[in-house]
Amino acid sequence: MNSVPVLQVSELKVHFKIANGLFSPPTIIRAVDGISFDVSEGQTLGLVGESGCGKSTTARAILKLVQPTAGSVHIEGVQIDTLKESEMRPLRQRVQMIFQDPYASLNPRMTVGNIISEPLSVHDICHGDDQRLEVMRLMDMVGLNPRYMNRYPHEFSGGQRQRIGIARALAVQPKLIVCDEAVSALDVSIQAQVINLLMDLQQQLGLSYVFIAHDLAVVRHIAHRVGVMYLGRIVELADSDDLYQSPTHPYTQALLSAVPVPDPTVSQQRIKLVGEVPSPDSVYPGCPFVDRCPVAEDQCNHTVPTLTPGAHQVSCLVQSIDLPADSVEVSG
Amino acid sequence: MSENEQTTIEHSPGFWSQAWSRYKRRKLAMVALLFIVFLSGVAVFSPMIAGTKPIICKYKGSIYFPCMGYYYSGWENPIFQKDKFRRVYPRNLKQKDPDSWAIWPLVYQDPYRPVRANEWGLGEDGNPYDAQGSPSSLNLFGTYKTGFDIFASMVHGTRIALLVGFVSTGLSALIGICIGAIAGYIGGWVDITLSRFIEVVMCVPSLVLILALLAVVESPNIFHVMAVLGLTGWTGMARLTRAEFLKLRESEFVAAARCLGARPTRIMFRHILPNSLAPVLVPIAFGIAAAILVEAALSLLGFGISPPNPSWGTVLNSGREKLQSGYWWQLLFPGIAIFLTVLAYNLIGEGLQESTDPRLADPRD
Repeated sequence: MNSVPVLQVSELKVHFKIANGLFSPPTIIRAVDGISFDVSEGQTLGLVGESGCGKSTTARAILKLVQPTAGSVHIEGVQIDTLKESEMRPLRQRVQMIFQDPYASLNPRMTVGNIISEPLSVHDICHGDDQRLEVMRLMDMVGLNPRYMNRYPHEFSGGQRQRIGIARALAVQPKLIVCDEAVSALDVSIQAQVINLLMDLQQQLGLSYVFIAHDLAVVRHIAHRVGVMYLGRIVELADSDDLYQSPTHPYTQALLSAVPVPDPTVSQQRIKLVGEVPSPDSVYPGCPFVDRCPVAEDQCNHTVPTLTPGAHQVSCLVQSIDLPADSVEVSG
Repeated sequence: MSENEQTTIEHSPGFWSQAWSRYKRRKLAMVALLFIVFLSGVAVFSPMIAGTKPIICKYKGSIYFPCMGYYYSGWENPIFQKDKFRRVYPRNLKQKDPDSWAIWPLVYQDPYRPVRANEWGLGEDGNPYDAQGSPSSLNLFGTYKTGFDIFASMVHGTRIALLVGFVSTGLSALIGICIGAIAGYIGGWVDITLSRFIEVVMCVPSLVLILALLAVVESPNIFHVMAVLGLTGWTGMARLTRAEFLKLRESEFVAAARCLGARPTRIMFRHILPNSLAPVLVPIAFGIAAAILVEAALSLLGFGISPPNPSWGTVLNSGREKLQSGYWWQLLFPGIAIFLTVLAYNLIGEGLQESTDPRLADPRD
């Protein structure tokens, strides 16, 4: 296995400035506030969290669609956040993205063939008849009939469109694909098909994925490692099985307890979180989860927790987590 | 891939062919489009419809096309000038070459001069004028000034009317789309600067600018008017294009194109422009209508194209001068023509709007 990880993100911060008019200082939205992770070849990292926790911004920063405020992103050892767009262009062959909305991410005025062949033209990979054959091969690979290459995206179902998006991402033979909620907009049955396709492709092509989702069951199925994000930070990062079997952070525990179990006889312990996600525009002197945390202690109010080193990283100050009885609701 | 498989690739209608099929279902818009096509035909073939020069004639053993002289005076063979035809063909052809023959335009009337008596050598009357010049079988729409035929003037004026619309609006579409695209795509200071520039241009009243220009230019012609209309009329299209580019710049398919490493020009022209063109098409149709009205207004005020050249506005202008004498035909026919043409362009614009807007799309599609 390659010693250099395909993707290395360290202390990545993405802050957005929101102008408040001429005379008041701009509000700073800390969409991503210092996250670090590695993805090695052939691995899938799942990123989960509530909406607004900075998952998609992380994805966009990895692809340099937004400029990071601080920290660095390395792709196959090359630092990309300092590159100019023209220097970045050849590197874009290594990392591709699959978008959340299969309706919005395909140009409605281009045929499927043109959409899939565009990366081939942009990167001068092949032209003319070779390009046609390559498009057919790619369509075949993602389970689309090559006969439909002259059709328009609106004639396809959501799942088929997502396959078009996958074929477009695969055209440049990337090492890493960032899937930003790639299956969230699809039906459950279609989700399974697309996820299995992604896993098959990983086997065949040795791809790495950063798989962003809010559906924990889906992430468990596809990811080797899972990071749980809360308010722009990773609160827990561990191997998939480890995380799902022994979640350590109270937020992870709460999230996992919310996953429905399709068996009415199993009684579920549901941890109810109170309150809302705090606004990402303020700075917290302590743990950002403290207001909603069922086990918060006094130190949580003024000490910022950091991720512990090791295979199972967790960012919590409370050592022995024992949930108090009143926060647990038993149902079933 | 085998030959066999290549032939089975399915094609499906693109956006524009679907828009066209939706457009075709709109009866009124179709009628308007056919009317404009008809007018274009009239404009192109005007010397064959009304004129005093033969479409084709045989004279002294050679074939000539004297009617080409209406397009450009140099295209009329100089032999007719040498033989002292003095622009009167029928009598002279017969007198100077008894073996000659000619095919005549549908209506023997000229926009540049009144038909005089005895042009055919049969002792027939010339064009009447003033109160006698009301519509008759000789002068279908009557006469104006000193016996100029209104029908012939209007047929030949169609070219100017359509040209003003097309050229000035084409020019403003080109400028407007380019400036709007740059402002919307680049954003930031470029956008702020260009937007303020657009607002400055919007503040300039084009009619006043045209009048000022016509006073300055030595020999003003219709192309000066078109240029001024084109250079001042692009602001609406620029704003629409800018808005579309601002919106689409943030869309996911543009983000996808950026991920692929597409260059900004490719993103602008291949991804955003085709998606932002439909809303701009509508003001183009309305712009043509407005330009025709401005040209007519200028001619009506006497600042339009110089008098020997026919235009709808010129006829209208003479009708305005003779309003008290009650020469209704001088106002009615050019008025109807301008009204119908402007109406047709507005109907086309409306049809385009409804056939390109997916929200108004027919559920059958």
